[in-house]
Amino acid sequence: MKSPTSPRALLALGSASLLLAGCASPQATYVDPGGPRTITTVGRINIQDYANAADTMVGSLIDGVINAGKLEAPGGQPAMLAISRIANNTGQHIDTDMLVKKIRVALNKTGKVVTTTTIGLGGQAEDPLAQGIKQQSEFLQDKKNTRLPDYSLSGKIIEQRERAGDVRQSSFVFQLSLTSKAGVAVWEDEKTITKQGTKPTVGF
Amino acid sequence: MNLPTPRHCFALAGIAGFTLVSACSTVKTVERAEPVGQRQMVNDKRVITDASLNRGVRIVGVNEVPGEFLKIQVELLNTTGSLKSFNYRFEWFDANGVQLNSPTSVYVSRSIEGKESTFISATAPTPSAKDFRLKLIESTR
Repeated sequence: MKSPTSPRALLALGSASLLLAGCASPQATYVDPGGPRTITTVGRINIQDYANAADTMVGSLIDGVINAGKLEAPGGQPAMLAISRIANNTGQHIDTDMLVKKIRVALNKTGKVVTTTTIGLGGQAEDPLAQGIKQQSEFLQDKKNTRLPDYSLSGKIIEQRERAGDVRQSSFVFQLSLTSKAGVAVWEDEKTITKQGTKPTVGF
Repeated sequence: MNLPTPRHCFALAGIAGFTLVSACSTVKTVERAEPVGQRQMVNDKRVITDASLNRGVRIVGVNEVPGEFLKIQVELLNTTGSLKSFNYRFEWFDANGVQLNSPTSVYVSRSIEGKESTFISATAPTPSAKDFRLKLIESTR
């Protein structure tokens, strides 16, 4: 009778343990959404692209409006911002809040800008309950004290695709405008993100 | 099987040489000898863990722009003769050294041509940001 510790048995045991270890390897891992190991695809706007565009826009807004002392608001209060239409002119279904919310949060953290959630495009409030409370409050008090937004933010996301042989290229153009109560675009900027590749790849 | 003739070898060497030359196209620059704008340079401390990236993307200098919101600009130079891709991210800290988080903080991808000099800049997310840190990492692709 062969001993179970023969070289063949050890080899089989080793192979089995390797196979088991392989099966037990993790199928999914957490990655930093702002890190360099997120998935990049050519034909889609990836999560890092929204953050990149938002970062550029916020930096530009701070440089061009806030740091330049051009932000106007009554009585030294933070300027009130309303969100207007952000048109999606790409071929894909996207939630524009992936861009706009990041900008709103970043602007809010500056302490210089607040966003209204009760005034929206076409009378549609982002927060209907807050809108109802505001309307009741205005009914009971003097309507002359009602504060209107100082600025509105509008924009567009555009997609441009190219192909040459096996190489595919997608450009996503983020355009934003900040309009004052006087109807003047006091700040505008554009950020283009271009990606090239032949197949989806990991990383930038 | 036919062995390559000297003519074939010469043609192959020519193609290889052309490919090498075209892959190493570098950037030429021209600018005013005495720039009008004067940069306010910042003394910096560098921690280099990737010698390969440091050879390719060298930090030339760091300057800041005064204002309520701190603005930092970093000049980078590709010392090699070929395209280099890298990612960078700015981190911001308050007067107590506590890191300030922002939803827009993300590694940004950039490419720099051979011998090209480029600038990357960032504006602090809040007026309370007093210090910064720039992180550079070689592109994973």
